[in-house]
Amino acid sequence: MLVAAAVLWELLVRAEVAELQFLPAPSEILLAARSAVTEGELLGRVIHTVGVTLLGWSVASAVGFGLGLILGLSNTAYRFSMTSFEVTRAIPPITFVPAALLIFGFSLRMELVLVIFGGVWPVLVNTIGGVHAIPSELRDVGAMLRLGRLATVRKIVLPAALPSVVVGLRLALSLCLVLAIVAEIVGNPAGIGDGLIRARQALQPALMFVYVIVAGLLGVVLNAIFRTVVRALVPGGDTPDGRSW
Amino acid sequence: MHRSGRPTGDSTRGRRFEVLTGLVPLVVLVIVWEIIGSPDSPFYPAPSSWWPALFTRGQGEDIIPAIIDTTRTFSLGLVIATIVGVTIGIAVGVSARTDRAFGPMFEFARALPPAAMVPVATLLLGFDEPMKIVVVVLAAVWPIMLNTRTGIRSIDPVRLDMARSLRLSRRRTIGSVLLPAVMPAVLLGVRVATPVALVITLLVEYLTGVNGVGALVGDAQRTFQPARVYALIVIAGLISLVVNSLVRSAEERVRRRHGVERE
Amino acid sequence: MSFECRSVRADVGAVGANRTVLDDVSLDVASGEFVSIMGRSGVGKTTLLRVLAGLQEPSAGSTVRFEGRPVDGPPDGVSLVFQDYTSALLPWRTVAANVELPLEGHLSKPERSERVAATLEMVGLADRANDRPPQLSGGMQQRVQLARALASRPAALLMDEPFGALDALTKSDLEDELLALVAETSTTVVFVTHDIDEAVYLSDRVVVLGGEPAGIAADVVVDCPRPRTQIRTRESAEFLAARSRVHEVIFGTR
Repeated sequence: MLVAAAVLWELLVRAEVAELQFLPAPSEILLAARSAVTEGELLGRVIHTVGVTLLGWSVASAVGFGLGLILGLSNTAYRFSMTSFEVTRAIPPITFVPAALLIFGFSLRMELVLVIFGGVWPVLVNTIGGVHAIPSELRDVGAMLRLGRLATVRKIVLPAALPSVVVGLRLALSLCLVLAIVAEIVGNPAGIGDGLIRARQALQPALMFVYVIVAGLLGVVLNAIFRTVVRALVPGGDTPDGRSW
Repeated sequence: MHRSGRPTGDSTRGRRFEVLTGLVPLVVLVIVWEIIGSPDSPFYPAPSSWWPALFTRGQGEDIIPAIIDTTRTFSLGLVIATIVGVTIGIAVGVSARTDRAFGPMFEFARALPPAAMVPVATLLLGFDEPMKIVVVVLAAVWPIMLNTRTGIRSIDPVRLDMARSLRLSRRRTIGSVLLPAVMPAVLLGVRVATPVALVITLLVEYLTGVNGVGALVGDAQRTFQPARVYALIVIAGLISLVVNSLVRSAEERVRRRHGVERE
Repeated sequence: MSFECRSVRADVGAVGANRTVLDDVSLDVASGEFVSIMGRSGVGKTTLLRVLAGLQEPSAGSTVRFEGRPVDGPPDGVSLVFQDYTSALLPWRTVAANVELPLEGHLSKPERSERVAATLEMVGLADRANDRPPQLSGGMQQRVQLARALASRPAALLMDEPFGALDALTKSDLEDELLALVAETSTTVVFVTHDIDEAVYLSDRVVVLGGEPAGIAADVVVDCPRPRTQIRTRESAEFLAARSRVHEVIFGTR
């Protein structure tokens, strides 16, 4: 079916039935991909984007997890800050781009800030959710065993909340990748997003499709690696499907 | 850990109080910002200068039309995405054959990040309203379609047997049994798709500079009006809060009507 | 004759991975008769009921007729009551709208409301017409399902362990209500259950399935006079005789 669709697309473009002036045929995309790979341009851009994604994701995960744990465990902290986080989270991250551009300029820092800002939320929300969803029986077990506060957190709360945290981490990973690309499209002149914009300025739609497809593949690959690692570390610690854009 | 879980207020008054206390850090931030920020700081202009900045240099008449533009693109895109997503979701949900035939194509299309599609779409389709809507639909359709498909598949077989044994017509089975049964799943998909659609709307506006709040923010940034940028961020945040809570309450209502509590 | 089955064979499971559960089942159910189908779990009681309901096609060579016409798809005049009322009822419709469902497109609006009101009156739920099923107790929800099944005035009622998920007291209430209703409307009933006492108390005949694939292991006639009552009928010699007979067929003579 996928092949049939590609063939149909190719034929439509060749026969000039498709009226879109800049729609490249699949064969042109393949050619563009080959030259992008052989010229080494693609690899450099992929490395940049993946690097920023992973760096930003690590920071976002640490911040989100730490904050989430505090808000999940302490009712006071929750009561005196949750609405603030909800409100801030509701602001579409894309609108922060102009502010970040004004403050940091067209730079790597701006890209990182955007990636971290966006990546924090899924981890934060899922950590809080995971801690709150721990059944009270399990907490009673901790009390009955006379575990101290720290031991309870370490031996009961963390393992019980882990699956939810893992989901948050995975959602954050796809989100960080997309945000890195967005930041590169609008600001930081490097990586896949920048390649996309340059190809657009040079009116090379085939090359643009190459970058879009590479971005999609990166998302799939990062996701698969994440799942593999999680499966190796925590058995049964992941659930399918969340959101990503 | 001797306290019980989430602090759920028993009364609505308790919950309202919690919502208010939760705002404390944000309020403190704004106050501190106001005290240390100066109105002409190139980076952190004081919050009190944001609102007036919307109306300086003869600007101001463009705000309301921008909000309307953004809301229109967003909601039109979301509505079309819902119609398309539900239709495809039902088609692949009821028939394993259709699913096998189109599955790989959907997987492929879904993997392409909509944000990266935006520059491509501006080249292929030009800088106009239909292009914006196409991109928003492309981004928002997947969660809706996937949730609908899952929803259809998780309908209890007893319910389908029931429809057959009552000899309901095909139309009545879809209208009276399938569609209502799948509504909570559809709305869950819409809830997930809502922020996605809004972000993509703003991104397209920002990149193309064609109308809407996104275009205004971009313009304010390029002409170095930081206070105006922050004011517009607040406006975008408010739009987001409003649409999210609308969708959420619609979902709540349907869930309650279906007697289901599960996520 | 209401139902006629001749050498019915039926498989369950996906194509390729299927298993024959019923083989050579021949069974007649007369009009107005109350027949229970019993047997150990997994023996194929529900499969037989689904075949009668036209929800499952029997293997080639089987003959299933309802009122003389071959069954291919759910026949006109047959209603099915499921055990799982939460799935069988639509929670987004009111009780009345649930009962109305099979009538939509067949009767005019005023006729429908009249029929719904009358049927709800029959099962004693007239005052709950505007509630939604989840607001009702299990017993009440099962009454709603019964009302929906009766609303189309069926000649035969197929019931798949309808009282299996209810508590003992509710169950005994509903048994008596069911007997009264089918006596009043002279409806044929085929009733699947795994409760021997219930089967004997309700039925004119108890058909026991056994073997793998299952055939009819016994066809026990219950000679208790009607109307039956929980105390007197259950103490009668006929009841006890039929009960022991069914017990013997299912468990052997231990």
